[in-house]
Amino acid sequence: MRIHIPVIVAALALFTACDENLSKIAGPSPNLEPTFASIQRDIFETADSAGRVSCIGCHTSTGRNPSGGLNLNHDVAYEQLINLASRGKPSAVRVVPGDPDASYLVQKLEGAAGIAGRRMPFGGAPFLTDGQILILRRWIAIGAPRN
Amino acid sequence: MKLTLPLRLVLTVALLSLAGSASAQDDDEKLKPAEPDFSLVSLPTSLRLPKFSSAFRVTHRFTGPLTGDFGDVVGNLFGLDSGAVIGLEYRFGIVKDGQVGIHRSSDNRTIEFFGQYGVMRQRPGRPIDISAAVAIEGTNNFRDSYSPSLGAILSHEVGDRAAFYVEPMWVNNSNPLPSALADHNDTFMLGIGGRVRISSTVTLVAETAPRLRGYKPGSHHGSFGIEKRAGGHLFQLNFSDSFGTTWAQLARGGTSSHDWYLGFNLSRKFF
Ligand code: HEC
Repeated sequence: MRIHIPVIVAALALFTACDENLSKIAGPSPNLEPTFASIQRDIFETADSAGRVSCIGCHTSTGRNPSGGLNLNHDVAYEQLINLASRGKPSAVRVVPGDPDASYLVQKLEGAAGIAGRRMPFGGAPFLTDGQILILRRWIAIGAPRN
Repeated sequence: MKLTLPLRLVLTVALLSLAGSASAQDDDEKLKPAEPDFSLVSLPTSLRLPKFSSAFRVTHRFTGPLTGDFGDVVGNLFGLDSGAVIGLEYRFGIVKDGQVGIHRSSDNRTIEFFGQYGVMRQRPGRPIDISAAVAIEGTNNFRDSYSPSLGAILSHEVGDRAAFYVEPMWVNNSNPLPSALADHNDTFMLGIGGRVRISSTVTLVAETAPRLRGYKPGSHHGSFGIEKRAGGHLFQLNFSDSFGTTWAQLARGGTSSHDWYLGFNLSRKFF
């Protein structure tokens, strides 16, 4: 019995599942993943290599009043975001699990039309990259779990 | 990796090809009027390529939509004033019933390598022809995003008048995003199409490729056309709702605007 080339190619194709690299999309924060732990670590709590500042410089209760009434300190950040109304635009909700478009956090980071105040970070560019926002959006889309 | 049902079907067909069963009398160099070419519009046919023979094809899809104000459409010469997605394709018969080829599409600078093997021929008492098809394509000249695909081509010819095709196909990594950011990384689709001859050299052709499972953005691919054969040449004028000419492009479907676009295929057999 001869084994033909197409069959060999077929077998190879079957067992090489291909996928893209998340780090390529994450850009200046290469370890960013769509989990809450990663978003806290790589966005809220650290600056990235593109020069984007960390959020907790302003959004903290340590030694000051958190800007915009949003405290992103490690242990309270989740409760401060999920299903909680915005301070600056009370009709908006900071994070609506499952709905990135409706989440005010995303709108503030994208500088969407209709936000109160400025696009975040407050001091101006560099803002989050499209890829970083895509990963944040994905975390919200899958239900914004505390993971 | 979990083997889903469609995958298992496809694998079975691929394994069947271990036992090639064509008889020596098949004259693949002879014209088959109902199956004059290796493709419908973008989907493959089951036409066998004789060993050491080859064929060349150009696919051309104008990117200007045909919808909108009729005056505008005519003013744009039916989309011809816009850019185009162009594909160049060359295939070669490596064994009896087996062919390999390369297709380069300007859409994302995609290069696709493909192979097709005819497993079973239609004969009196056996109404179906079966081929196994495999491909792997990569964007940015085969450097960026790779999508392997695997499927089968089932066809039935009605005399020398018409031919019909059903092509279950599984495409891996059809989604250009990392799977951590997507719900699906694969597409299972069903190519369906046919060709009907309306004169000795003129045929009508139509096809669609609904995505049944997995990643399926936008609209499903659909296309129809009219073609004229002149010796070993085939000229096809077509209308499509997508620019896809490779499996992963077909899996990604057409635009969600449901626009239609003018295009043409030119193919030449070297045998
Ligand atoms: C330089 C200080 C500063 C930095 C850095 C900063 N913010 Fe802010 N942020 C503010 C101020 C001040 C407000 C309130 C005024 C406004 O909305 O423009 C605010 C408001 C917000 C709000 C709206 C809160 C509400 O309930 O209305 C969100 C969401 C937010 N910031 C997210 C972020 C994120 C995420 C980052 C990090 C990428 C960040 N901010 C970085 C100062 C800052």
